Amino acid sequence: MKFKILKALDVAGLQVFDPVVRLICGENPPEQVRKILLFIGVPIVTFIVFLGVWTYLAPRHTTKAGEVPTPGVVKSAADGIWTFHVRENQKATDFLLEGDAREAALTAVEARIAELEPLAAAAKVKLDELDAAAKAKIDAEAAPLQEQYKEMRKTSRDENKATKAALIAEADKLPVNDAAARDAFLAKVAAFDLKQEADKQAQKDFKAKIDAAYTTKFPEMEAVRSEYNGYEEELQYLSKRLDYLTGDNQSLKIAGESTELNELEATFLTAEGGKATFAAAEKVLKKQEAITRISDSEYSRPWTFPRQIARSVWCVFVGFFIGTAIAVPLGVVCGLSRVCMAALTPLIALFKPVSPIVWLPIVFIIVGGFISDPELAPVHPAFLSSAITVALCSLWPTLVNTALGVASVEKDHVNVARVLRLGFFSRLFKIVLPSALPLIFAGLRISLGVGWMVLIAAELLSSSEGIGKFVWDMFNNGSSQTFAQMFVVVFVVGAVGLLLDRIMIVLQRSVSFDGAPTAI
Amino acid sequence: MAFLEMENVSVGFGPEGSRTEVLRDASLSVEENEFIAVVGFSGSGKSTLVSLLTGLLRPDSGVIKLKGKPVTKPGPHLGIVFQNYSLLPWLSVYGNIELAAKQVFPHYSKAQRKEHVERYIEMVSLTPARNKKPSELSGGMRQRVSLARTLSMQPEVLVMDEPLSALDALTRANLQDELVRIWEEDKRTVVMITNDVDEAVLLADRIVPLTMGPSATLASDFKVTLERPRDRTTLNTNPEFKKLRNEIIHFMTAMNKEAKMLRVDKGLAMPDIQPIDYSATKRSA
Repeated sequence: MKFKILKALDVAGLQVFDPVVRLICGENPPEQVRKILLFIGVPIVTFIVFLGVWTYLAPRHTTKAGEVPTPGVVKSAADGIWTFHVRENQKATDFLLEGDAREAALTAVEARIAELEPLAAAAKVKLDELDAAAKAKIDAEAAPLQEQYKEMRKTSRDENKATKAALIAEADKLPVNDAAARDAFLAKVAAFDLKQEADKQAQKDFKAKIDAAYTTKFPEMEAVRSEYNGYEEELQYLSKRLDYLTGDNQSLKIAGESTELNELEATFLTAEGGKATFAAAEKVLKKQEAITRISDSEYSRPWTFPRQIARSVWCVFVGFFIGTAIAVPLGVVCGLSRVCMAALTPLIALFKPVSPIVWLPIVFIIVGGFISDPELAPVHPAFLSSAITVALCSLWPTLVNTALGVASVEKDHVNVARVLRLGFFSRLFKIVLPSALPLIFAGLRISLGVGWMVLIAAELLSSSEGIGKFVWDMFNNGSSQTFAQMFVVVFVVGAVGLLLDRIMIVLQRSVSFDGAPTAI
Repeated sequence: MAFLEMENVSVGFGPEGSRTEVLRDASLSVEENEFIAVVGFSGSGKSTLVSLLTGLLRPDSGVIKLKGKPVTKPGPHLGIVFQNYSLLPWLSVYGNIELAAKQVFPHYSKAQRKEHVERYIEMVSLTPARNKKPSELSGGMRQRVSLARTLSMQPEVLVMDEPLSALDALTRANLQDELVRIWEEDKRTVVMITNDVDEAVLLADRIVPLTMGPSATLASDFKVTLERPRDRTTLNTNPEFKKLRNEIIHFMTAMNKEAKMLRVDKGLAMPDIQPIDYSATKRSA
């Protein structure tokens, strides 16, 4: 049992948790605790230090889009993204609910609204109170400052006026052609100018102080405000749900239309006279059409972030498979034939370093040439272009590794094949490919990592729904939350990339026969 | 005519001009079901000889004939046991042998093939390790698998390229006995390459020394007339064994000396420099 778990951890590349399992099994506890402290404790401490540094540094850098978000803000942004996703899903479900389930949901929603409304009202009252108090406080603080400011300006103005007048008076008496006297006067004027500048600067600084007083934040009020906002948002969401459970509900709409249809059919049955009958028939058909349309309709769910993640993962796999389907056969051919290797090496070397940013527009135009109407196409051209770009950028490591693996089959294994007189295909499938498999999978693992990095850029450019598009939308919409949401993306992209890499490690380990150790 | 015959075979490597001749005018003839051991120093072209005998390498001149027909390409009738086993690491013991059996006896039914493979696993006493991968086996066990794989092809000639030289002494002794047992059980023509004279004397009917390379050739043979079964425990005191062994060793070492004498000394002349002992001066200072 223990060894099975240890083996599984080993295959999954999670040897980090090895000492935990051993500790639970009671194997040499001091040694295991030491290992746990080293391999789990130290990384956790590092992460905490990282969060600490981040928390300290972030508020100290203010940008046009607000302060750099702290971990707490990022966390709440992530929560916001998730809540939005859950709520949209709930609305989509509500739209399709019918019968008792709909009734039950309706009751629940109404109960919740009844519960929330007083809370929201109370929060509103409290917020208004606090707001008023805060305003009063700020005014109280700012009023003397304002006075002071006015005073300051007045004194400065008066002083300057007086000085100027004195200087003019002095100038009146300046002897002509007395260079020394005139120079002295010039210096006085310069000093006067300097003083004026200094006064202006002092006023500006003072004004900034007053402005700072006005923008003072009151944590208590902010807390109440965010609480109130939360209530308001939920109430808004609940009222939308209410709509989808009542007036906009699919089953209710269909029921309504059906009653109308019955009436129309009755009219049609009893209609007399050519014109009237024809008109009634047309009405019935139109109604039937309307019913079909409603029952086919779906709640138009927006692309929430979790769905975009899923879409991105799907896209990277599509691209990865296209790339693999090209790279592995080509690599085998290159590995087997030195002529092909020589022929393709320059092309590989030439195309390998090309950036996805260059590939994407080209691919986009070519794909666009094949798909004239994006709405009717089975796959969206933006999705396909992103996938092909991923394929183009990620196939190189697989190609090179496959060629290398196939070309470097051990000579003894080749001799075995010769002694057994294996044919071309059994030689390929029984000797060459199995022995190249570990290298091929090492290549695939690098390819998937490259593909994932490329994909985000490709999506950003092609506006294919996915993580890249999310980042781009956030960058462009510029709300107070976007900065934090982009930070969420950083962690999501990292986590998904890590997960993909782990999957590839498991695959790689399962095909490697020499028990090669895996990289971190 | 002999079963396996090698007539005046020469082979060399390298480009024209700086060509190294590995074997020159080597001749050998092996009777059916005879056990021949070829002994030689390392680097004397033993592995080249194996490649020639199994058709993996074509000679530059001369001819190798099996039952009168020239050998031109490798095949399952010329079984070879490699020095480093060359098992396929992704296949189990069973899988490795089955691959060979499937290729050599394609007409076998599934049950027949299974029985065939298992018979050879049993022959090398590896039934308990049947589903293990080569990486999970010891060196001796791997060499047994390699042997079983080659035997399962039922070759007309079995050529072994230093099959036991990578093993430790105890495993080696063990496998030598095993080899004799298997050969007695399943008689066929065997050419074994080895660097161990004792091993050769213990196993073979005839021992052929390979002279020093380059341009090595096969010297005249020594017949081993010791009664079979030969018991390794009493063999050491057997005067006939001692005599034969000493003869061969003498022959080989003499050859080695001769080769060294012949070799032109290409080493740089070293200046005559002696370290100076400063410790005494230091002490006096």
